[in-house]
This record gives sequence, structure tokens and C-alpha cells, in this order.
Amino acid sequence: MEGVIRVLMSKPGADGHWRGSVTVSSAMRDAGMEVIFGGFQSIEEIVETAIQEDVNVIGVSIHSMAHMAYAKELMDLLDEKGVKDEFIVVFGGVIPEEDVPKLKSLGVMGVYGPGTHTAVIVNDIKEAFAAKAAT
Amino acid sequence: MTSKWGEEMDLDKIEAEEKEWSKLLEGCERKPEFKTYSGIPVKALYTPLDLKDHDYLEKVGFPGKPPYVRGVHPTMYRGKVWTTRMFSGFATPEETNARWRMLYEEGQTGFSAAVDSLTQAGMDPHDRRVGPEVGTDGVPLYCKPALAAMVEGLPIDKIGVALVVEDAAATITASMYFNVYMERGHDLKTCMGTTQNDLLSMSIGCLQYRALDPAHRLKLACDIIEWCTADKNVPRWNPINFTTYNYREGGIDAVQELAFGFANAIEHINHMLGRGRKIEEFANRLAFHLSAHNDFFEEIAKYRAARRVWYKLMKDTYGVTDPKLLAFRFHIQTAGSTLTRQQPMVNIVRIAYQALAAAIGGVQSMHTNSYDEALCLPSEEAVLLALRTQQVLKEETNITNVIDPMGGSYYIEWLTDEIEERVWDYLGKIENAGGLVKSLETGWLYKEMTSSFNNRRRMIESGEERIVGINCYTTEEETPLRVFRTNPDAAKVEMARIDKLKAERDNKKIEELLTKLRGVCEREENVMPTVMELTKEGAINQEIYDTYRDIWGEWKANIVF
Repeated sequence: MEGVIRVLMSKPGADGHWRGSVTVSSAMRDAGMEVIFGGFQSIEEIVETAIQEDVNVIGVSIHSMAHMAYAKELMDLLDEKGVKDEFIVVFGGVIPEEDVPKLKSLGVMGVYGPGTHTAVIVNDIKEAFAAKAAT
Repeated sequence: MTSKWGEEMDLDKIEAEEKEWSKLLEGCERKPEFKTYSGIPVKALYTPLDLKDHDYLEKVGFPGKPPYVRGVHPTMYRGKVWTTRMFSGFATPEETNARWRMLYEEGQTGFSAAVDSLTQAGMDPHDRRVGPEVGTDGVPLYCKPALAAMVEGLPIDKIGVALVVEDAAATITASMYFNVYMERGHDLKTCMGTTQNDLLSMSIGCLQYRALDPAHRLKLACDIIEWCTADKNVPRWNPINFTTYNYREGGIDAVQELAFGFANAIEHINHMLGRGRKIEEFANRLAFHLSAHNDFFEEIAKYRAARRVWYKLMKDTYGVTDPKLLAFRFHIQTAGSTLTRQQPMVNIVRIAYQALAAAIGGVQSMHTNSYDEALCLPSEEAVLLALRTQQVLKEETNITNVIDPMGGSYYIEWLTDEIEERVWDYLGKIENAGGLVKSLETGWLYKEMTSSFNNRRRMIESGEERIVGINCYTTEEETPLRVFRTNPDAAKVEMARIDKLKAERDNKKIEELLTKLRGVCEREENVMPTVMELTKEGAINQEIYDTYRDIWGEWKANIVF
């Protein structure tokens, strides 16, 4: 598969725990991806930026336990704009194991909690990107 | 009269013996180099040779006496054991109140409110952008009735309440609390507690959503210090708590933790002096909140070094002579970032060791984390266990018998000196970067933080830093923990609380007072008297915070990584 993977890393809501988002962004960049660090963004801003910047991946970092609500809003808006299939969406942060299947059923590709080796995240994204390109 | 350690010893003989002994180590050690968490290289053994020029009275002295290395009180835990102050808050003020009652009944001796992101950012729960986070990561305190509900039925005239909320939001939340305190029939002169009010906590510990620029955050932080302490409106209140804990959680080391904290204190002190206030008017109420991290001896040495640095800073830089201002008092929190989602029960052990280091290090007040914090907000069961962890330390281990029991350890004394020296060096580095506010504005501080994030990641992922359950002793089968979830109806409850308040209050009066506040902000005057009036009349957090944002604008951190 040719081309550099472009990632938007965002934090919806007002929760300011930023270490995870920067740590994972750095790891993605070290792995050759291009990362746009969106920081605090509303769901509308995330979708707008993702479309404008033509990214392949939307990374969402949440430590406030509000992940289900934001995930639903994000996936609904992507759906509404007819671009849901254009992005690989990944979530990270303090997210209970039991919520992972619920997030995946909304269309989130991967969910990564504290202590995840960043190589796992990078590999999952590369595989999903390659699979997408193949279809 | 001074007495040098090792004066009576034959140091030449010890040196010769040490040389002989060190041959036994050659080729037998597990690693070529051993280091502390902060990267300080350490030898296998410390002896009188490492302290040969160490002047006991000058460098260590006695508890309650300069340089306070052995402790801030002459009696330490033989007089009063540290305060157990558990940081807690979630869902709604009523549910937080119930948790606080439980902790109080179980032996907690201080209260501390964790507030939610909306309170911290001055947002209205009706705002869709942040609505899903109402009460999910702290207690929502958007208006005076919420504060009243949180402390309902609790003896707040006898036990201090810490409000963990920063600068801009702190001016508002503290004013609401002070009004509640007076409405309960108490005199503000007796009000005890703390506002965290630490702009750096929500600049590098966490990022602040819709933040003001650093200079105005410093101004607002100092408005609280001036109004509460220097003007003696709330003389028993600690107006600021430099929370190096939060910076440390980002992955910086023990030396940076202290240096960032002291640089922050220096910035606030200088600002207050610039307002024409004397240091004696406010410095006795400057408080600190440190981390209790994993490197056991380094943490103990850190607390000892912190007391010496503060003493020298106050005495030499600011010419302070009052002993109350020279003694470095601090609270600790065990390091949340060391807790793992994997094998979460192991966290109980980590928390206990960290708390032990803090107790040996002479802490005044303590929060022990709960073992489930890498998974969710702490459950009642987990919080109770964290509380009991402190009670075991206090009641069963006898560590409270003797003051500074590690004092005189060759290693600890050497490491205390080493950390102190490195802190002064790092303070010089921050000064060269233009001081704290400037280095936030230029992004220098963000670069220091993000490089720490990345260093730690590389160390953990390469296995150089070993963490049980993460990169060693992992298990395939994990016992699932019951995840504590906050009330899903919290947003509805808080919206209703605000709607009711707005329907009942004198809205014309609020408008007039908000106009008055605009003038105060434009003239850069102390906001506290007007914010006290506004919150008394029922203004909500967002209305006041938005006035700040209207006048001074929003600021975005320059993040480079």
C-alpha cells in the first residue's frame, strides 16, 4: 500500500487529560504517519477538520467516561454527512472493557486503554488502512 | 557550634576498606548502571565518605528548626499525625455529599472536592459541546446552591474543605463557597480550607478548555491570594496550593516536579510583591501538593530536599525571618499515573508503598488513590480501602513514633543534597527560559512536558522501566472489576438546578453586577469583591467566566511534540 497515513487526533468535550493523546500522536509520527493535533474540538469541528484535511484516521482521546455519548454523536454525524466509510475511527483513554464491544458496534475500529503498547495501535491502524485500500 | 559528621572517624581507613570491598562487586552486578527514577546515577553503597563535609546543623538540623529538613514541626507525628484528606467528587453535589459523609464517618479528617471539567472551564451544562461530561469526572459546582448541597450537614466550621479548582474558575467557586459558609451562620474569619488555584495544573498537568492567557490566569490567582490572605477576608484559608502532583503525572521526574513548583511559587510571589504587598502578608498561606511516586528513597529525599529549598528561597531570596513562612508544609497524593488497568489489585500495593514514603518523608496531609482509578472513578469499596491504607500506616506500623527516621542514612542524606542541587540548576533553566508564565507563552514548558511523555513511553516500551502487568509478569486472564459509573441523569439534575435558580433570582441585579464586573476586568482590578456579590445573588459559573473571556479573550497553548 502506497501513501502516508494521515491522522487527526482530537479531544472532544472539556476534559483536559492530554498526555495520552500526545504520547500516541508521537508514536504515530515516529511510525511514519502524519498527525494533525486537533486538541480540544467539538464533534462538528472534528468532522469538519477530518474532511478538510483529508485524513484517513480520526483518533479520539477521552478520560472523562463520556466516551459513549461522544462516540455516538461522532459516528452519527459522519453517517449523516455520508463519509462514515472514509475514516478509520479509533478511541483511547479510560474506557471500561465492557464498553469496547458497544463502541465497535457503532463503527469504531479500535479502543485502546491505559498501558497499551503504542506498536499495537500503530499496527492495527496500518492493517485497517491496508484492508481499506484493498477494497 | 557545628559538628561535622564523621569527624571522629578515621576516613582514610574507611576509604581503604571501601576500595577493597568494591572489588567484590566487579562483574557481579545485574546492570552496568543503576539510576533513580529521575535518572540520578546511584552507587551500590553509601558510607561516611559521602557525607564527609556534611555540616549537620547547617544542612539538616532539628524538626521545626531551620532548615526544616527533618520536618516542619518540633513534634511531628508524636504531636499530630497527618490529615487524611481524600479527594472526591462525582455525579451531583448530593451524591458527592453522601460519599463525603461515608468518608467522614469512616475516619477521614479533611474534605477535598474533585470538580468536573465544566466547572473548571466555566461551561453551562446546557451546552451540547460539553453536556455529556456533567459530573463524569468530578462534582458539578456551577452555582451557589450546588456548593450548599455538597457540604450540607457537614461540620465545615471545624473541618477544612479543599476546592480543587484552578484560577479563573477558582475565583467563582471559592466565592460561592464563602457565601454558603456565611449563609450557614459562620464568620468568614473562621473559614478553613484551600483553593487549588494553580494555573500550572491546568496548563501542563491537564490542558485547560477555553483557557485565558497565562498572564490573566496569574492575575486571577493572585486576586484570590490578595483578597483572602493579604486583605485578611478569609485569613485561615489557603488561597493557593501549588500542585506539583499534577505536573508529575505528565511523566516529569522528581527534580522537575520540585523545580516547576518552586518556579510557579516564585512567579506568584513576585506578582504579589509587584502589587505592593509584603511577603509577610501572604506567604504563610502558600500551600503545596506533591506527588508520592514509585522510587521509594528518592521520594523521601525529595520531601526533605523540598523543605531545604523552600527555606533557602524564603530566607535568601525574599529576606523572610518569620519561621511560619520558612517551613515548607505539603499535602501528597499517591501517583495515579503509576496505576495500571492490568491486574488492578496490584495497585493496592503500589499505593501503600507510595503512602509509606510520604509518611516517612514528613507529609502534613495525604490522599491515597483507589486501586480502580485506571478503569473508572473510584467505587465506594475502593475508596474505603484507600482510606484504610492510611489508617494502617497511622495505627499499626509505628512509623509515627520517631521523627524523620531516615535522617542520617548515608544514602538519604547524600540523595537529599543531590536533589536539592539539581532543583536549583533546573530553576536556573526555567529562569533562562523567561520564568514560568513566559515559558508557557513561548511553549518551552510544553516542549519539556512532551519530551517527558515520549521519554517515559520509550523507557516503558523498551522494558528499561519495568511495570508489573504492563511489560513484565503479565497475565492472560484478567479478573474483571465492577466498573463504577456516575449518575447518567446528572446533566438533567444540574440543568434543572440552574433553570430554577435563574427563575428565582433577581436577573436585573445580575445584569448590573455583570456590567460592573466588566469594568473591573477592563481596569484590571481585583475581581473578588464583585464575584462575591455576583455569586451571592445567584450568578452561575459560566456567566462570570464568560465575562473574563469576553474582556481578555481565549488563549491556545502552543503545543510542540
